[in-house]
Amino acid sequence: MTTAIGRAGFGLCLVLGGLNGLVASGKIEAQETPREIIDRVDRILRGESSHGLATMEVVTEHWQRSLTMEMWSLGTEYSLVRITAPRKEAGTATLKSGDDIWNYLPRVDRTIKIPASLMMGSWMGSHFTNDDLVKESRLVEDYEIEIGFEGVREGDDEVWEFVLTPKPEAAVVWSRIEFQVRKDDLMPTWARYYDDDGELVRILEYSDYREMGGRLVPAVMVMVPQDKPDERTSVRYSQLDFDIDIDEDFFSLRALQSGSD
Amino acid sequence: MPMEPWPRIGWRNLGRNRRRTVITAAGLAFGYFAIVLMNGLMGGMTAEMIENGTGFLMGQIQIHAADYLPQRSIYETIGGRDGADVKALIQTATADAAIEAAAPRVYAGGLVSSGASTSAAMLVGVDPDLEPGVSRIFRGVVKGRPPTSGANEILIGAEMARQLGVDVGDELVLVAPAADGSLGNDLYVVSGIFRSGIAELDGQFAMLPIGRLQALAALEPDRVHEIAAATADPWLASEAAQRLAGPISKLSDQAVVQPWTELRPEMMDYAQLAKSWSFVVIVIVFAIAIFGVANTMLLGTFERRREFAVIMAIGAAPGAVLRTVLYEGVALGAISLVFGVLITLPVLLWWHNAPPDLGWLYGDFTMFGALIRPVLRVEYDVASALWAGLALLLTALLAALVPAARAARLLPADTLSAD
Repeated sequence: MTTAIGRAGFGLCLVLGGLNGLVASGKIEAQETPREIIDRVDRILRGESSHGLATMEVVTEHWQRSLTMEMWSLGTEYSLVRITAPRKEAGTATLKSGDDIWNYLPRVDRTIKIPASLMMGSWMGSHFTNDDLVKESRLVEDYEIEIGFEGVREGDDEVWEFVLTPKPEAAVVWSRIEFQVRKDDLMPTWARYYDDDGELVRILEYSDYREMGGRLVPAVMVMVPQDKPDERTSVRYSQLDFDIDIDEDFFSLRALQSGSD
Repeated sequence: MPMEPWPRIGWRNLGRNRRRTVITAAGLAFGYFAIVLMNGLMGGMTAEMIENGTGFLMGQIQIHAADYLPQRSIYETIGGRDGADVKALIQTATADAAIEAAAPRVYAGGLVSSGASTSAAMLVGVDPDLEPGVSRIFRGVVKGRPPTSGANEILIGAEMARQLGVDVGDELVLVAPAADGSLGNDLYVVSGIFRSGIAELDGQFAMLPIGRLQALAALEPDRVHEIAAATADPWLASEAAQRLAGPISKLSDQAVVQPWTELRPEMMDYAQLAKSWSFVVIVIVFAIAIFGVANTMLLGTFERRREFAVIMAIGAAPGAVLRTVLYEGVALGAISLVFGVLITLPVLLWWHNAPPDLGWLYGDFTMFGALIRPVLRVEYDVASALWAGLALLLTALLAALVPAARAARLLPADTLSAD
């Protein structure tokens, strides 16, 4: 499963399941196809599992809030996020298992499955959607990948700009995704999402590249919806560990429910 | 001056061949019957659509914050973030003579979940005491009862109950993005299940006490999205809404008052279309009738050509003969009209007061999201009945024109010497 781009670049991949950053190691051969580049990046750079702490700030025209959370991931199939603050929502957790998303609500001590019709709904009031959690691991399956640009952009960094267009049969939300990666350290810099009309809908920007858990990662991600430029969701990692000792049982519904304390 | 004899002669001519007169009059009378009944049925369907479309949930008048529709953003409460004096709004609305009742509502999109199944739902916070005055939603309860004020109880549609596999007394988890950005969630007990026949309502709507939804969605008690009001007659709503606009804006300057004709313009369009169709029906029916009547009268005047020739030979002017035949036509129309009214009235009264149920033939259907019962409901349509009556007389007169002109143009000598 080639999911480097998903894990490192898109949506909530870094919030959920995509904690494994990209580390510059290994030289990409020039004659390789974009898919092979990503495949290789994926294999070389993806940790089997991860654990991290982060703070998510959501700014909308109506309110502003900050959530702190702890998260775990295993492969591309499993991830778990548990809110730790504010107190009103502490314990609320989201489990991604394959294509399904479950929310655990401590106040009522119940777990609910997010229906397909609400996949485009906001995740925890942020500008990320539930769909971001599920589809990030499938981007490479659902989209054709081409290099749209290769060379020097703003600043001195040599970059690749990948263009992702949906395969004809893929049931996806975006008509086009653009994704920029720095060549020298394979760090993602931004991703742009276009809707069916070809309109730019949202931009995800990465910054504050730093070493965490022994790897270079972008510590901050900011999602800005283009129709509401004053709104944003930013995620800042305070701690990341890779290849931790964790198995599938950790991502079960039972664990989701009992893990609240 | 003695009254001229021609109207009497025209009238008596009708008695010359009574069977023919009766058959012709029956044709016109039945045309009248068909028009009034068809337009009545059309009016019945329109009324059914408007009454059910506005009466089941929406109400005939709604008050919102100016920007609330069509997005229905949870933040756009009446009076904005500061809210409004809901009690005063309701009092102002019900003070209007045309308005029978008013009730506050809060809306929130959310999830309703039971066990492993979850549905997206439109959660509607209603005042269980005031809502029955405005809408018939509680009358649609097929099992259990409406929610009680202040209790964590919820009324859900039959289709939602089926999808979730829940019954009265079962527990549901409600999750809704709240106005403060948090994820509101709480446990509710299904107090009842309603069935409206409208797929959208039955599958997606859930009603709970307004205070409980405000708590779930982090809205203060004076923040509501809607005041819905009911008028006795849907057609009073437009004027009532206009009257209310002033007093309501004094309470909340950004609030707008809209009648159903603005909220659901497609229903209004349909009502107007149905009305204009009633004239098309009149034209079609009598256009067919006019040829039949003209044909009969042509025959009648042809049979009497010798008589016309004789009276002209002894001094009657052609204009007198013309008038005689026209009088005959008008008299025929008058008889037909009386006959038509006599056969129409009983059926009209019957179908209006006890519409025959065609449920055995076809089931309920929906039109513009409003449920229509399979009944032959007839509305009284005085204007249409008057127009049809006028059209009937005009038809008889027009049908008499050609025979009258032909009779008046007879040459007495030629006619009498023929054969």
